[in-house]
Amino acid sequence: MSDRRIFVDYIARTEGDGAIDIIVGPNGELKKARWEVWEPPRFFEAFLVGRKAEEVPEIVQRICGICPHAHHIAAVRAVERAMGVKVSEQTVLLRELVHYSDWIMSHALHVFCLAAPDFLGYESVIAMAGNSDLLPIVGKALQLKRLGNDMIVVTTGHEIQNRTSVVGGFTAVPEGSELRKLKERLKAAKEFGFETVKLAAKLASQPPYPDLVRKCEHVALHDDKKYAINDGRLVSTEGLNVPDWEYPIWIIEKHVPSCNCKHAIIKDRDSFLVGPLARVNNNFDQLSPDAKAAAREVGFVAPDFNPFMSIVARAIEIVHSIDASMQLINELDDPKFEEPTFEYKAGESYAVTEAARGICCHGGRIDKDGVVQKWDIVAPTARNVYNLEKDFEEFVPKLLHLSDEELTLKCEMMVRNYDPCQSCATHSIKVKIRRER
Amino acid sequence: MAKPKIAVFKFSSCAGCQLSILNIEDHLLDVLGAVDVAYFVMAKRENHEGPYDIGFVEGAVTSPKELLELKKIREECKILVAMGACACTGGLPSIKNFAGTQREMEEKVYTELWDLKSIPAYGIDHYVKVDAYLRGCAVDVGEMVELIKSALLGVNPHFRPHSVCNECKLKENVCLLVNKGKPCMGSVTAAGCGALCPSLNRPCEGCRGPANDANAASLAQTFAVDLGLSRDDVRRKFLKYAGNTPEFKKGAEAV
Repeated sequence: MSDRRIFVDYIARTEGDGAIDIIVGPNGELKKARWEVWEPPRFFEAFLVGRKAEEVPEIVQRICGICPHAHHIAAVRAVERAMGVKVSEQTVLLRELVHYSDWIMSHALHVFCLAAPDFLGYESVIAMAGNSDLLPIVGKALQLKRLGNDMIVVTTGHEIQNRTSVVGGFTAVPEGSELRKLKERLKAAKEFGFETVKLAAKLASQPPYPDLVRKCEHVALHDDKKYAINDGRLVSTEGLNVPDWEYPIWIIEKHVPSCNCKHAIIKDRDSFLVGPLARVNNNFDQLSPDAKAAAREVGFVAPDFNPFMSIVARAIEIVHSIDASMQLINELDDPKFEEPTFEYKAGESYAVTEAARGICCHGGRIDKDGVVQKWDIVAPTARNVYNLEKDFEEFVPKLLHLSDEELTLKCEMMVRNYDPCQSCATHSIKVKIRRER
Repeated sequence: MAKPKIAVFKFSSCAGCQLSILNIEDHLLDVLGAVDVAYFVMAKRENHEGPYDIGFVEGAVTSPKELLELKKIREECKILVAMGACACTGGLPSIKNFAGTQREMEEKVYTELWDLKSIPAYGIDHYVKVDAYLRGCAVDVGEMVELIKSALLGVNPHFRPHSVCNECKLKENVCLLVNKGKPCMGSVTAAGCGALCPSLNRPCEGCRGPANDANAASLAQTFAVDLGLSRDDVRRKFLKYAGNTPEFKKGAEAV
């Protein structure tokens, strides 16, 4: 009797370079289940030492082309906390709008270009577009993604890497008239947001996904006043409730041999999940009324511990992001230019934002001349790697009746569910499954 | 005519440049109709072996494994395009080349050093011949569409070799360096971004690498003498996105 092995030497439709290696013994016991991150180390934490404090947000947003704003805003807030820099309410609101814009772009990309092809049995969104029945949906999805990108351009000057947000504020602010044009487009996008929630719920309700439930700790930012995105306390479904700057105390990392990515646990506990499902589960009541209504209409009840429901959570957050963005545009009205200012001061601090795929943590120590002495970065994918391996342990034995080809696809889907971003984690995906027969 | 076969490869980078391909939503379905996307791991599950007509490479080479892959890619692609600052000049990953020895960098981030295989970060033309460059961090989408169209038509794309300063003047911006005393790199940096940052009141950081007539040593002197930047500050300016280039190296060593 030989082992059954599933090996995918890179995982397509994720960002970066990784692999799955699974070995199953003859009685269905899992001998090995590992998600290996192959992305070459990029040494941001090393070369940030010796750079100036104001360069940190500029540099770290280039860790990830999909969630640059999560890294940027976490870092800018950590630098400001460390140096005692206060920013205006307008800056806080603008940063939220920038980040919601990124969520709209990123969620549309993930739901339609990365995840939906799996559920619908296509190898890519390009193949999906080849089906004339699906082409209109792909077209609308691209329009929604374009809207997110246009919002990013209006608020920051460039689609991928922001050009205006700096320590202390913004070098330029958007025209009120431009924001109001975006608001009209957001209003028009709402209907497709609702459709997306229904489509996502339909996809996730296909067998075997509804049966794959695994209860684990879900961690997210929480703000008493609003749905948390850029600021708040770290909370969890198991009762964690601490200030975000204390993350190094509560979230412990360990180096694992043969993986370029460290594993994370909650202090004195175990693996945990971050991302849209964790956010919706922890903060359901603070979603916009329409997002809540859309969730209820498809029967979503928080907390939901089925990881495959993350596509539904993402869709619910699309509706919420559209509403939150319109609200922010109302509050911003006609933004006034305020010269960003700061002074160097020695200090150490940390901050957390919610990247589209989960909590993104930054912080470090700065000397009196503004030179970085130490910088710590933990991206959401790094938080999820260990939890994903636990998913493999739970779900693969339940799916052994499938052919190797189908089992491989299901394993890839488990990975893609997390919307992993290995360029963040350091970046990637291959699946190896071996089963003894 | 058969559709040209396109491939997209990624080395050490943020994936933002290949995301730019998916960000041409308005043209995406047209472009996809005009080409055969044979290899694009971020977007597709089914990817095909070479040869390819056009290969886009994103990212800096930072490991021996990547170097081997790059050499194979070069053999498989008729036209090889360096896509973005990392592939063109080493980009941000190249900061580590000037921040200490490779071992010192490794020790700052990892504890299990025996398993790490990392080398200094360079753009891809440090190792292989490159046919076209899409500069910037991230690439300019307009330039990318121009390059794809030109390749389809078999003509050279119309890229501008002069400095960001020229584009800034055409936009009638107030000069950040002369009038506001901010350390702007626009005078030594290659154009094509439409002077994006200076137009948004932010000094150019040089992400597109040196312009064809860059006098970096002179700009470094201006930074030090007129603006009062320290030697370390001047070095940080020039050793950021394109410190591997001889032009920016001169700037870093000028004061």
